Amino acid sequence: MSNYAVEFKNFHYAYNGGELVLKDINVSVKEGSFTVLLGPSGAGKTTMCKAMAGIIPYYYGGRYAGSVEVLGEDTKGRRVSDIAMHLGLMLEDYESQLVSLTAGEEVSFSLLNHGFPPEEVEEPTKKALEDVGLPGRENYQLDELSGGQRQRLLLASVLAVHPRVLVLDEPVSAMDPEGSVSLYKLLYKIHQKYNMTVIVVEHNLDYVLPYVTDMIVLQDGGVVASGSFEEAAAAAYEDRELRRILPALWQVKLNLEKRDGIHLGMWRNTKDAIVELKEKYGRAEL
Amino acid sequence: MKEEQVFKPEVELIEVPPAKDTHRWVAITALLLAIGVILHTISPNIGGVTPNWTIAMYSITIGLTNPSFSQSLGIGFVAGLTLVPSSKSAFPLGNIASELTGAFVAALVVKSMLKMGLANFRFRPYLTGFLATMASGSVFTFILKLILSLPMHVYIYAMLPVVATVAVLNGFITQVLFAPAQKLFFIQGARKK
Repeated sequence: MSNYAVEFKNFHYAYNGGELVLKDINVSVKEGSFTVLLGPSGAGKTTMCKAMAGIIPYYYGGRYAGSVEVLGEDTKGRRVSDIAMHLGLMLEDYESQLVSLTAGEEVSFSLLNHGFPPEEVEEPTKKALEDVGLPGRENYQLDELSGGQRQRLLLASVLAVHPRVLVLDEPVSAMDPEGSVSLYKLLYKIHQKYNMTVIVVEHNLDYVLPYVTDMIVLQDGGVVASGSFEEAAAAAYEDRELRRILPALWQVKLNLEKRDGIHLGMWRNTKDAIVELKEKYGRAEL
Repeated sequence: MKEEQVFKPEVELIEVPPAKDTHRWVAITALLLAIGVILHTISPNIGGVTPNWTIAMYSITIGLTNPSFSQSLGIGFVAGLTLVPSSKSAFPLGNIASELTGAFVAALVVKSMLKMGLANFRFRPYLTGFLATMASGSVFTFILKLILSLPMHVYIYAMLPVVATVAVLNGFITQVLFAPAQKLFFIQGARKK
């Protein structure tokens, strides 16, 4: 049995009539990791998320080579709905994924769609809403929920079937900073509670820094760095364009490491940085 | 020293057709017919002529999804049913026969034009809406003529001109609404990144 949640092997993909958007992707995501997918706009991050769910190439069509394995099984020949039992996908445009009138119906719809008998959906619906911090909101109309709550609701619909892998494409792009922090806190809680593999596309790494374990960096449709967050960030730092999308804190850390030839620890927040800087330099101002 | 260049062998890509939309035509039909019923209920009568929104809506549906003839007849049957309850005509059930004909003609027009390579002909929606309304209206008024025992010249000189006027109006509505409907139903979910 593979220890990888997702594994791309020599994967190439081009939309119908288009150029290659993913080129020779050879990368794997460890089971139980909290992986961030990083890269400039147009690098192929969304396409990669869709490939994990099997909707690329088997729903959209197009041209491809290589393979994508989810939990050790090739997505080829499998129905998108079967893959969805193990891998939940939340796309950036979350509003377009909501289809029901009430919060309870939305989560139940997801369960019924996955073949759960109607008499068995009530309990998991309740549980999923509790998990995302919306307890007792079964009868709330969707327009009674705020944007952030609707996003949590969608997360509940995805989580209700207990996928082992959760893929999120820019989940906080339309949220305020407070909501973003809160959503990532929630995601981390779920990741810990169910030992779920989380793969997230995020531009603002400050939000995921406290939780991230691994990182995949994409550029022009190819993987330029992957592995533990520390390794991948160090590799990305060597590229001028990619350096700018790393968290400011890590730009400082990697700069210091390069300048002074030292090794600094895993800075998850400013507090970690201050503690270590005081220890190494006797002060936190540089 | 000349630098040795390493050439990667070109990758052979496998072509995969997009998954077939097996139920999209049903969803589009349901939505557009529902909109048609609402518009049919609220749209005012101008100079004795009211556009037939239902025909315009199924003409758009058939133009967008190119369903089979049997599916088109199904669309026509449902469209006819939606008109029966609010019909003020002497024979409301005539709507079913007329919409079955209208939807069949719309499918015929769409399929013929696609076969002739006129898929991108700019006025394809207009032609579909116009001819479907002509066919539907002609059948509906002919049924009325039979039921009310009206003379043939009334049918030809009084009823058919009204049908033609509505058909012109419907062709226009179909043409105007086709592009937004196409954008709504077919561009969503196909964004590339």
